[in-house]
Amino acid sequence: MKKINIILAFLGIMLSSCEEFLTIAPETALSSATFYQTESDFEQAVNAAYAPLRTIADNRSWLLCEMRSDNTIYARNINFGATEQQEDLSDHALPEAQGITSNVHVLNQYRQDYLIIARTNEIMSQIDDVEFDQASKDNLKGQALFLRGYAYYELARYFGSVPLHLTPVTSREEAALPLTPEAEIYTQLIGDIQSAVNLLPVRSQQGVGRASKGAAQMLLADVFITQKRWEDAETLLKAIVTSGEYELIPNYEDVFSESVGNKNNAESLFEIQYLEGPEGLNSDFLYAFMPRPISQDELQPITGTSNPQPLDGEGNNIPTPDIIAAYEEGDLRKDASIAYVEIAGSDREDKVYPYIKKYAKHHDLHFNHGINWPIYRYAEVLLFLAEALNEQGKTEEAAGYLNQVRSRAGLDDTNASGQTDMREAIFNERRVELAFENKRWFDITRADRVQEIIGDFGQRALANPQDYYYPEGATFRSNAFTNITKYYALPAAEAEITPHF
Amino acid sequence: MKKDCYPILDSRRLIAFMAAMLLTFASYAQSTVSGVVRSEGDNETLPGVSVLVKGTTRGTVTDLDGRFQVEAAAGEVLTVSYIGYATREIPVQGGQTEYEIVLASSMSDLTEVVVVGYGSQLKKEITGSVQTIQGDDLMDIPATQMAQKLQGQLAGVQINQTTGKPGQGMNVRIRGQLSVSAGSDPLYVVDGFPITGDISTLNPDEIQDITILKDAASTSLYGSRAANGVVLITTKRGKAGQSSVALNVYTGLQNVPHYNRLEMMDAVEFAQFKKEYFEDAGRPVPDMFQNPSQYEGQTQDWYDALLQTAPITNYNLTINSNTEKMRTSVVAGYFDQEGVVLNTDYERFSLRLNTDYTASDKLTMGFNLAPTYVRDNTPRTDGSRGTGILFNALHTWPNMPIYDDNGELTYFNRFPSETGNIFAYPNYVRSAQEITNETKQTNLLSNAYVQYEPIEGLEIKSTINAEIRNSKYFYFNPSTATPGMNVAIPTVASSVRDNREIFSWLNENTVTYTKSINDHNFQLLGGFTNQKFRLDRTQVAANTYADDRLPTVQGAININRGSTISDVQEWALTSFLSRLTYNYQGKYLLTAAIRADGSSRFGSENRWGVFPSVSAGWVMSDEGFLNTSDKVSFMKVRGSYGVTGNNNIGNYTQYALVNNTVNHVFNNSVVPGAAITSLQNPFLGWETTQQFDIGLDLGLFDDRIQFVYDFYTKNTTNLLYNVQIPQEAGFGSFTDNIGEIKFWGHEFAITSRNTQGRLVWTTNANISFNRNKVMDLAEGIDRVYGNVHITQVGQPFGQFYGLRKLGNYMNEEDLNSSPQVPGRSTVGSIKLEDINGDGIISIGGDNDDRTIIGNPFPDFTYGITNNFRYGKWDLNIIGSGSYGNELYMRHLFSTANLDGVFNMVQKATERFRSPEDPGEGIFGTTVGGGNVTGIERDWANSNFVWDASFFTIKNITLGYNLGAIANVIKSARVYAAVQNVYIFTPYWGGPNPEVSQQNNGNGDGGNLSQGVDLTGYPVPRTFTVGANITF
Repeated sequence: MKKINIILAFLGIMLSSCEEFLTIAPETALSSATFYQTESDFEQAVNAAYAPLRTIADNRSWLLCEMRSDNTIYARNINFGATEQQEDLSDHALPEAQGITSNVHVLNQYRQDYLIIARTNEIMSQIDDVEFDQASKDNLKGQALFLRGYAYYELARYFGSVPLHLTPVTSREEAALPLTPEAEIYTQLIGDIQSAVNLLPVRSQQGVGRASKGAAQMLLADVFITQKRWEDAETLLKAIVTSGEYELIPNYEDVFSESVGNKNNAESLFEIQYLEGPEGLNSDFLYAFMPRPISQDELQPITGTSNPQPLDGEGNNIPTPDIIAAYEEGDLRKDASIAYVEIAGSDREDKVYPYIKKYAKHHDLHFNHGINWPIYRYAEVLLFLAEALNEQGKTEEAAGYLNQVRSRAGLDDTNASGQTDMREAIFNERRVELAFENKRWFDITRADRVQEIIGDFGQRALANPQDYYYPEGATFRSNAFTNITKYYALPAAEAEITPHF
Repeated sequence: MKKDCYPILDSRRLIAFMAAMLLTFASYAQSTVSGVVRSEGDNETLPGVSVLVKGTTRGTVTDLDGRFQVEAAAGEVLTVSYIGYATREIPVQGGQTEYEIVLASSMSDLTEVVVVGYGSQLKKEITGSVQTIQGDDLMDIPATQMAQKLQGQLAGVQINQTTGKPGQGMNVRIRGQLSVSAGSDPLYVVDGFPITGDISTLNPDEIQDITILKDAASTSLYGSRAANGVVLITTKRGKAGQSSVALNVYTGLQNVPHYNRLEMMDAVEFAQFKKEYFEDAGRPVPDMFQNPSQYEGQTQDWYDALLQTAPITNYNLTINSNTEKMRTSVVAGYFDQEGVVLNTDYERFSLRLNTDYTASDKLTMGFNLAPTYVRDNTPRTDGSRGTGILFNALHTWPNMPIYDDNGELTYFNRFPSETGNIFAYPNYVRSAQEITNETKQTNLLSNAYVQYEPIEGLEIKSTINAEIRNSKYFYFNPSTATPGMNVAIPTVASSVRDNREIFSWLNENTVTYTKSINDHNFQLLGGFTNQKFRLDRTQVAANTYADDRLPTVQGAININRGSTISDVQEWALTSFLSRLTYNYQGKYLLTAAIRADGSSRFGSENRWGVFPSVSAGWVMSDEGFLNTSDKVSFMKVRGSYGVTGNNNIGNYTQYALVNNTVNHVFNNSVVPGAAITSLQNPFLGWETTQQFDIGLDLGLFDDRIQFVYDFYTKNTTNLLYNVQIPQEAGFGSFTDNIGEIKFWGHEFAITSRNTQGRLVWTTNANISFNRNKVMDLAEGIDRVYGNVHITQVGQPFGQFYGLRKLGNYMNEEDLNSSPQVPGRSTVGSIKLEDINGDGIISIGGDNDDRTIIGNPFPDFTYGITNNFRYGKWDLNIIGSGSYGNELYMRHLFSTANLDGVFNMVQKATERFRSPEDPGEGIFGTTVGGGNVTGIERDWANSNFVWDASFFTIKNITLGYNLGAIANVIKSARVYAAVQNVYIFTPYWGGPNPEVSQQNNGNGDGGNLSQGVDLTGYPVPRTFTVGANITF
């Protein structure tokens, strides 16, 4: 009997410790139960909330904003298929039905914005439960709210009404929400950004490259200008001007980030940060902007890399004849923004293509650079301020700010007089000063001039496809410029799995 | 600190436990019985006869003089069986220790003892669906892996060789089991140990026999791992009284025959195509293509240049040394295969030592130790355009030189862009020769058991098993070569090192009690097991080497951080199991089994799964009413029902993970970032399969013809599925158990001994019909897409999905009167069906015209094996086939790119050129460039789908038995064999109709996207000669 008891005792031990034996948490990953508990955790969480901006600026914004406008277009390579996704954006030929589009770039922009929103929601829902230094907490909350506001502002401008998520999703059932009207999205994002303005330190007190009070003020001013709340915008913009934190850099060419140097300079309010190297934090948009097929010898002088490789496929974001013509005589910004390359492999008779020079900075690694993407810079503060003033009838005061920008570009003071003329002058000045910085499309949409400007642009392009980089004998697809809309349709892949749209 | 559930592995406790077992039961004894076995008629003694004490694992084999000795108590029954003879059951009488047993010859093999889960059973008494293959029957087949040798021989088991890479690519599916995202490979159990690593490293010559468990009653004792079926592998063990030394050796050559290669254009045809391309487009013809006939005899066959005739060699030495107390079997093997693609090879050193020791009447113990070392090298042969060397070579222009004027391999080729050459082609011969893609594995599989029988019929067994696997993977791409396309040479040299260490242990403790009361025979099994697995992995990726000769990590200028990782994967499994087997007079059979599995993979709210089964059989031929028939010698009907699981759901899927490498950068400095990247699911569990099986075993004409039929139906529910959720949530998916797939099928197998006497001819044939239907997916989701596939509710799993081709637009009238792709369709371009009837052809979105366009799964699979023996000659022919399966010839997107960018399939010479010259209808016009041709090329459509039914003569072996030679060699046999003799198939897209490659990045384990042909490593034809010699 005693022996049997020994065995029974062993069985008992086995059973009691089974739950422990069967509980194996991952050793090489953190889990939600153990995270969001210290200041450092929240710092990391905020850092991760910035990360989707890299994808957005590197791969999407220039497609959805710049190539959508009359500033740039793809350079058709007839040897290459599977280019519709980009061409549909540029050609205003997006397949669309019942407010839904299958375009993959639209989808990815949407998803990246919601990634920022989900990460910031997680931070905001947990950060007040953890005790740590208030100044640090305010700063982190300010950055999170800035980013959430920024993401919702992108969504509102691209899509109008979208789902409004403000708390973390924890189950399958909570994932899909109904569309919230555009006006309510704006109410929410203005609240977020206003809070960020209050919480964030000024640039000189903030970590380099992070959202600061000035960046938040500029973002909010941008929102107000879109909403035509000119007076509110003026207040914010004047606060930036008088803060003394920012100034125009004398030489326009020196404004833009290099792969390593000249980042977050005196003119920069906010820019998307990249790092050249194998860390996977680099940008490579410069390569997307190359007309193709481009050989290594043709590419090397532009990128300056020691190991260039040829690029095939189709080049994107190529300056249109329209933007090239938009520069006034003697505008120093023209040659700083646009250059030309001869592509031997082109099917066109004219093998010379323009490309965006602003970002064409030499770097070491092929297809890997650290060039930052500008979001807000001081020149735009001045142009916004000019616009806000002019719209309130303060046209003369507006001219002063406009002329600061023109003067740097080597141009005389504006000769625009009267509110209407001045409005047009500012509109055109923004086009060339901020060319290829993803501003043009929203300038057109908020001015409600989509049909007029894009319609005309389409007519010109269809009539002269060779001017728009089509090889001889080839032309636009028959559906080009047949779907010119202010907002993007919502992404099909999301529509398929939400019951709400 | 985690604490192991199972205290036994603590060594002190282990000793205490064992000691307790020994002390408890040490005082019982049995007597030894001995005897001799003779055959009826000639009265010769029979060596090698199995003598088993019924219901136990005690047993022995008669020696050369037909004598045996076994421990048995009065009242027990000796089961005496030998192939070709009727099994006899001899009751042991008290007082009688010497027995003379006479066996009558019989054709039936029903007296065979078959290994089943946690025991063995008389074949006659089995109530589930199982099939057994003897290792000796597979020995002559010159193949690296066990699964290759089984092709065509198993009913209900589809075995495809998806690539010819040495040592890789076997896809084994039992009864068509599939899952959306969980693995579908069967569970491999080697000597009772469910192994966690790759079964392909096992030396097939170590195998005594293989039992395939197909229905739930047979598999349910493996619980949450059984739903894909179970393969039990028993390795060779010593048999009492037999000592021997055997040498098996074969050597031969492999090649890739020409008859079924993908036919590409030769240089003349290609130049002619290019000439026509430019002419048809109204563009000037480049000088290079003005005169195609100049390339006569100048074709550079890039594909052929990658191939070689390669040797294959296999040596195995088996030593059996058996004494009364100690039985030992040692198998030492060396296998060496060079691949038919340059610079590919596979090498295996293996050793297995199996020992059984009879310590006393009641106590036996044993140890198995099986180390193997496997090294293989396959430099990126398989893959799609831009990633696979074979694919890239196939469509390299046939007028590009492989060698330069000095006879050196060129580095890369690129013609002026006006020729339409938009890609630089590296020299893929150089790529194959210079890229290293090597894996070295050191494996150790070991088992130890102790078995104790305290009283008659009661056996207590405890086992400890360990599996250790170390693998070192090394990839180096020097600056002079690349598997990619359009990469200039020199390129960026890069390396990857991936070191993995797996340790898995299993402890099993079982108690078996066997009792017969009158004609009621019972066996009760109870058990408790624990298994744990741990993988430690470190991968380092580096690039930009100063010197190709020093591919060390420190020799690299950059460490590729994104691919440099360390990882730990662990799981634990605790189980309780029990089985009751009952029969009355061996005629009415009943088995009930149950296993409860607790797994670390299952969510905290759903930790334990219970898997019961029940089965019954009725040996009708033992009833009086059938005994009158001399035609029906055996008849058994059987039925089973059970529940099994599939726990291949990932180790940590249930957890919400925080990824702390979501880094960002500020002002050129990396800052650490962290974000939740998955949602938790505490209810996550296994996939459940309920299976019902009904079967008939029939023996006719004294079992000369044996027939087995099975019908099964299975319902798999709680499918593991990564339910897509709207990404407005910040997450792409939520892993849950949802959905349902129904499977059903018929299996027929027949064994016929056609002739006896001087010519012995036997035929084994089988045919299987497997079907499935998706019954349900997630709420609100009725379809899941694969690569060019759809898995849709109400349809069979994983169908090809795309637009349906009607032909080409034959002329203006046809074009204008037919639905078109707006802005893209022209005369001669592909004409597709307007499925939704909206007047235009489109893909995706709300106007989608896609539909199901093909099925990668066969209507039926079949196999037929014929064995002939005539005097000293023997001949074996194995055939294997599949009917109704289709392949998606995905490489056509490149090998039939109508823009003249690549070399093309020869059939493209017969494309549409004009209404007067419309070609064969397979390929459309080249005019209009990518805007037109892109539809045919880039939109999934039925032009890619081709019948890939096949019948393959897998193996022919001709042997000659030399008999004994002098006093040294007891027996010797020599043979010649051909593997993959010939494939009969209408499929023209490449040499391997069994190919299936995934190129989808969906992470779905490939199940959703089967039957895609992206070319790939060809399966060679192998010629060998060999010998089996026993000393």
